[in-house]
Amino acid sequence: MSTDEQYDVVIVGAGIAGAILSKQLTRAGFRVLVLEAGPATARSFDGYLGHLEHFYAAAKKGPESAWPPAPNAPQPDTGDIRNNDGYFVQKGPDKYGSSYTRSQGGSTLHWLGVSLRMLPEDFRVRSLYGVGRDWPLGYDDLEPYYRKAEREIGVAADVTEQAYLGVTFPEGYDFPMRRIPPSYSDQVLAAAVDGMAVTLGGGEVALKVRNYPAARNSIPRGDYVPVGAADVPAAGEPVERYIGQRCAGNTACTPICPIQAKYNAGKTLAQADRRHLRVIAQAVASKIHVDAASGMVRSIEYQRYEDAGSPRHTVHQATARRYVLAAHAVENAKLMLASGLGGSSGQLGKNLMDHPTLYAWGLSPVPVGPYRGPLSTAGIEDLRGGRFRAAHAAFRFDIGNDGWRAPTGAPDSAVTAAVMQQNLFGTQLLDHLTSTLSRHVRFSVAVEQLPNPANGVSIDPSYRDPLGNPRPLISYKIDDYTLAGMAAATGVYREVFRRARITDCTNPDEGGWFPSVTYEGETYHYHGMGHFAGTHLMGEDSGQSVVDRDQRSWEHPNLYLVGSGSFPTMGTSNPTLTLAALTIRTAERLVAELAGGTTRAAGA
Amino acid sequence: MDERSEQFLGLSGLLTGFGRLQLLGTGMADTYLQAVDAVVSPATLDDLLAVYEHLPTGAGRDDAVAAGILGDARLGPVARSLILLWYCGSWTQLPDAWRATYGTSSLDTNRVVSAEAYQAGLQWVAAGAHPAGAAQQGYGAWATAPGTGAR
Repeated sequence: MSTDEQYDVVIVGAGIAGAILSKQLTRAGFRVLVLEAGPATARSFDGYLGHLEHFYAAAKKGPESAWPPAPNAPQPDTGDIRNNDGYFVQKGPDKYGSSYTRSQGGSTLHWLGVSLRMLPEDFRVRSLYGVGRDWPLGYDDLEPYYRKAEREIGVAADVTEQAYLGVTFPEGYDFPMRRIPPSYSDQVLAAAVDGMAVTLGGGEVALKVRNYPAARNSIPRGDYVPVGAADVPAAGEPVERYIGQRCAGNTACTPICPIQAKYNAGKTLAQADRRHLRVIAQAVASKIHVDAASGMVRSIEYQRYEDAGSPRHTVHQATARRYVLAAHAVENAKLMLASGLGGSSGQLGKNLMDHPTLYAWGLSPVPVGPYRGPLSTAGIEDLRGGRFRAAHAAFRFDIGNDGWRAPTGAPDSAVTAAVMQQNLFGTQLLDHLTSTLSRHVRFSVAVEQLPNPANGVSIDPSYRDPLGNPRPLISYKIDDYTLAGMAAATGVYREVFRRARITDCTNPDEGGWFPSVTYEGETYHYHGMGHFAGTHLMGEDSGQSVVDRDQRSWEHPNLYLVGSGSFPTMGTSNPTLTLAALTIRTAERLVAELAGGTTRAAGA
Repeated sequence: MDERSEQFLGLSGLLTGFGRLQLLGTGMADTYLQAVDAVVSPATLDDLLAVYEHLPTGAGRDDAVAAGILGDARLGPVARSLILLWYCGSWTQLPDAWRATYGTSSLDTNRVVSAEAYQAGLQWVAAGAHPAGAAQQGYGAWATAPGTGAR
């Protein structure tokens, strides 16, 4: 066992939160050590292209298909959900539908890039609607950090289109880049749908097809320079690549943007001050050592493996003035539990959330030009907030540009059905495919989920990975609040389809396999959105939460747990922008604290 | 190009609905010919090409394809996997009954032939689109009305 040199901050995890902290702390002159459990194969541009080739040749092109797991840092895979034979040990009663990536860059390597702010009302759902929890921060507290996050990750949107349901921007502000052009399909749908009214919870709501803010490079505003592909060789300085400064419409945001026009955490990490940064990949944090009397963290133990194919490893201790877990909502909780740091609040690992999401797919009466452009460019956001939330979950629609790919595996599955079942060939086959594929429409309807202490991560000594670290046990149930939201969302998508004269082809029996739940006699097939949250939620009260509003552990004053695990609730926003904003806020406080040389009392 | 390759292209055009130049333009013709030979044996493909060569021209041609190729117990499944190969860039395993009767090959599995084959799939052309993750159309192209597809 060896002890490394002293650092100011040790960060576990080289995903977006770890990258943002690394950049801010090193640029302020503090020495940072980052421990990344997975490989660093995406760090160099050549390595990244290797993942692209892997995707091309993969038989199944799901969200993980470009990012094979490292045996010593295993990761969940949506392909394992059906038989429950993957990294997660799913305890039910419902299946948790999401995955993440343990690799340098984290899950931003295959995220979609949706960068919605949370609504002001999302921070106060307990006060306003009597459900969930209130945040210890409000929209106004986070608003300046949202702007910083939008600049850090490079968000394309137009303010004129984004001020709805109470979302505000300061006078004169606009996003770093102009909105991504709406797809032809968005335009066709908007012409049919905009202004149509639906009734929800007794109130009438007018719908609008709206471009969403996306972390994809577009035409810059002002002095903003779009950040293209990152290329950090194993030795030497980062190489500037003149690629990826504009989205080129590769239609593969998930699982891999070939040109890195979509943000990934490698871009931020490449901007850290390398004189003060050390990143060790293939280094699995395995135990947090704590001084029993003070609660202060003394070191983080990690297992370094040279050969990704072998469990052989050496054990080291990393020490620093401050420690940050930025490993992912599930991994943060798992590491705390494995270190015997479950805490006295009883909340660690609990309140795991996601956005259980329904697919709806249909045939437009006219060609809409799918299978082109970013996987989606617009949504229907008008049902993300409102008084109905006292009764059931809010939801948002993501309007696909990739036809029926996600729910059915088209176009491959459509070709297969035409050839194998309809026995078509030749020009008849080609005409059939041309006339149908061009009219494929897909919605994803993401439904809010509230924090529930019964949903969460735990460990059991009998389930271990090759390095002997525990595998996460996942307990998960989709409650009536969310189920009623699914029912309402289903009613709305059917109204939208009718209005746009889209023939509803949604048929889970003909699509890929997805887990299902039943509510009031209807079966809903859902998938995860990769939106893990809640496992170390923040609060005002150390007895009811794991971290304070700065994401500092209540019980271990020199330890921070950062990421979407800190969210008390998630509303309907994809979590990455909000977790980036929270992380920037935490980074600023850490910089001030380290510069002052003191450790504030938690919550102060 | 040798006669067998020309026959293979002709058969492929008839089965997929794409013209000779479009098929050649994928750059995959030789690869696919070799792939089919390797999975089902050159003799089987020769028989399929022989039936193709003797198809009637004119009005009865499609019916003859349906009966003599797709309707044939041995040649039909091979022809269908060949269509999928051109459209998807992947080989589709032959039906169990076919394998039980005519033999199995270790290459007869559901698989993407290669990264290049994936990108060359004709399904993307049929959709008026491009292979996901490759052959990008450029910034904002998705905002314009789609083309008219393959023809």
